[in-house]
Amino acid sequence: MTTVEVPRISRSRATSASLRLSFLMFMADPQWLIPSMIAPVVFGLVAFELFRGSGPYYLTYAILGAGMMSMWGQTLYGSGWAIGQDREFGTLEPTVQSPTPYVYVVLGRVLWNVISGLIGGGIVYLVVLAAAGSPPAVPDPVGFVVLFVFVMLTLASVGILFSAAWVYTRYSGFIQNVGEFAFYVGTGCMFPVVLLPFWTNPIALIFPPTWALDALRYLAIPGYVGFGWGFWPDIAGAVATTAIYVAIASTVFKRVELHVLSKGDLSDY
Amino acid sequence: MPDTPAIEVRGVTRLFESRKGFLFREHTRTEALRGVDLAVRSGSIYGLLGPNGAGKTTLVKILSTLLLPTSGSARVLGHDVVEDSEWLRPRIGLVLGGERGLYNRVSARDNLRYFADLYGIPGGEREARIAAVLERVDLLAAADRRVEEFSRGMKQKLHIARGILHRPEVLFLDEPTIGLDPKSARETRKLVRSLVSDGVTILLTTHYMFEAEELCPEIAVLSKGRIVAHDTVAGLRQLVGGDRTLEAEAYGFDDREVDAVRRLPGVSKVVSEEYGPRTRLTLRLRSLQTSPDDVAAALPGHSELSVRERRTSLEDVYLDLVEEEAH
Amino acid sequence: MLASATPSVPRVSFWRTFWSNAVMAPRTTLGFMRIDFVLGTIFIIPLTQMVFFAFVVQVGGGGASEIAFTALGNAVATVTYSSVFSVCQTTDSEKQQGTMEHLLVTPANRFALYFGRGILPILISFATVTVGIFYAVTLFGVQVAPGSLPALAGAIALTAFAMVGFGLLLGGVALYLRTSIILANIFLFIGLLLSGVNFPTSQLPPVLQWIGYGFPLTWGLDAIRAAAAGDPLGTVALYYVAVLAAGAISFGAAIGLWEYFEHRAFATGSIARY
Repeated sequence: MTTVEVPRISRSRATSASLRLSFLMFMADPQWLIPSMIAPVVFGLVAFELFRGSGPYYLTYAILGAGMMSMWGQTLYGSGWAIGQDREFGTLEPTVQSPTPYVYVVLGRVLWNVISGLIGGGIVYLVVLAAAGSPPAVPDPVGFVVLFVFVMLTLASVGILFSAAWVYTRYSGFIQNVGEFAFYVGTGCMFPVVLLPFWTNPIALIFPPTWALDALRYLAIPGYVGFGWGFWPDIAGAVATTAIYVAIASTVFKRVELHVLSKGDLSDY
Repeated sequence: MPDTPAIEVRGVTRLFESRKGFLFREHTRTEALRGVDLAVRSGSIYGLLGPNGAGKTTLVKILSTLLLPTSGSARVLGHDVVEDSEWLRPRIGLVLGGERGLYNRVSARDNLRYFADLYGIPGGEREARIAAVLERVDLLAAADRRVEEFSRGMKQKLHIARGILHRPEVLFLDEPTIGLDPKSARETRKLVRSLVSDGVTILLTTHYMFEAEELCPEIAVLSKGRIVAHDTVAGLRQLVGGDRTLEAEAYGFDDREVDAVRRLPGVSKVVSEEYGPRTRLTLRLRSLQTSPDDVAAALPGHSELSVRERRTSLEDVYLDLVEEEAH
Repeated sequence: MLASATPSVPRVSFWRTFWSNAVMAPRTTLGFMRIDFVLGTIFIIPLTQMVFFAFVVQVGGGGASEIAFTALGNAVATVTYSSVFSVCQTTDSEKQQGTMEHLLVTPANRFALYFGRGILPILISFATVTVGIFYAVTLFGVQVAPGSLPALAGAIALTAFAMVGFGLLLGGVALYLRTSIILANIFLFIGLLLSGVNFPTSQLPPVLQWIGYGFPLTWGLDAIRAAAAGDPLGTVALYYVAVLAAGAISFGAAIGLWEYFEHRAFATGSIARY
């Protein structure tokens, strides 16, 4: 049987289309701007209040902790929620049915949330700055900003994998709500993981942001000890775990797609 | 291989299983498809009729790579829908219709732009292609309005526009005219015909008998997950007893009278239905041997008897087949 | 012109509406009411939230009393999930499923309808806070004065009632907005800051303290802290009255707001948007 030529599917184009659609959907419902701004402000102020008087670098701790919590929320939960919306709208079926592998659509959604997460991080900085009245002492500001963006990329890699859960089941929202604070604890976004019982450390190290955040603290807080193995091993661990997440994302999505096609519940919400 | 069907289904079954309850788990199994065989010629429209829950949408979803069959094989354009789904997806189109399935918060044009990118439609052609399909479904004037402002019919048209945007070789249309006003429905049927003249193979499911009769040279009737008949409309008429139908109406017939009618030459089937105080006997005729006068003669003593002759409709065929399956 | 006679219509029973909304509505609208989800809300969310903030306090240099303060605060704050969130989610879910219009076109008594919908969340909220306080006592060193359990139970029940009323109030806005979950999110975060969850409200500037006392959670927390500390009955009773008033105002305002937004939503057609 002869068939016509079909155009080559550009994955980068599919990703940018998904990013653009996320932006348009956000603009159509900008109410989400309110919680995405309020959450960082509240996290910033709570962290500032709780860390006040805990040492010379309390301000850095507050900014890092609250900024990370806010970015966690945006990147992880925002990304998952976007897939959940596809379920609600009934658009998951036609999107999965298109020739673009779904993981690239998810990547676009995650990138949009990375952008809004960075904005959230910026808001936290400004809020804590306003509350403290002076900027935090950061020995290497340029390196700090570069590493900050890197942390976001490690978060994005987790966001992609977590999104697979939303394709897998319509109940992911509940699972994420229940797991929210457990993730905040487990990855050390507000305080170092080494403070937790030792048995939790290996679990925490499964997540790329745990390594990246530890590295960020090395850079921002003189005398920081963390896991004790130093800055570069943290960077190496973050790069390696992120690479693993990215490498398995495509396979995970294929498996999840196979599961949902077998179960036949793509249109359920 | 010019004779290879564009769509070929062999013994496809699909079982849905669900569980509910926490302490006392309740396990439900539903056989949506129970061994379906089907072949659709390339470049034709094939109609799939069946009552609600017959398995039409399940079959369409399997053929469009959105659902895995439990057993059996399904091939589209000569490729297996499970093994070769990546190859197939750019070559097939799916219109499921309904209120869901669109990004309601953005415009019709932005919906199509998004899917144009996912289907890899060349960037230089994208806008022109979108304008062309929107014009084809008569939505160009509303292209930049948010979909949430659309009527049900407009949403249905946008579903169709998305389904044909990437110029698929095989198109699955699941009840494409549902929710459309008569004028729009007629335009949609015209569009379907024009797609076939462009060489597209179409599998169409519908509840509207006249639509199937008008569009589909071949039809299959699906009931309770099984194909109970498949043929041309004429072939299906013969299957249920013939091209001609006689209807006799009066205030009640006794069993002896019904038997007398059944024994008339060429009568293949007699169905008796009550309409308030009146009874209607519907006779399917395989030949021209029996006339309305013969029926009247077989039913003496009914002063108010009326007998009329008409062509057996697809609706008659459908109801006969589905009712037979139900019994 | 002749007066046209219309057949009489059955009277819609208040209690039937109440019962149907208390029992049936949660089952039909939400996956949230799956028993495993309910158990997760009751047993897991309070624990993880308390562990998180307890460690934050520890890193911030807080001692045992600060950790206990935060633990009890978060044990109560988790009520937001089972009250405000679940009620808002019910409303959103009705919109998404397209059943909201059908609901509002019925002649059912609105008070019975909305209050009925609050019953199950009140019970779940009560259980959530109780489990949270159990964790606070057993894991985080929170002291509950001997003999104060009945007063504590009363404070928890009133807090659950007030918070569900507050959830209904926010849910009413969803008739007009696309979703009320946004508002639920806002108040979840604001509660952590202004309601005395993690540090006493007295540490806040006066304006923020006033805002904080605009939320039932702040009053509920004060009542629960007073009851747990074994404060005199007169003091606890005053807090009871405050929480009850906050709940009554919330429910009353919710019904008023629902009627107002029902009207607005029909005028703007926003009921069908989500």
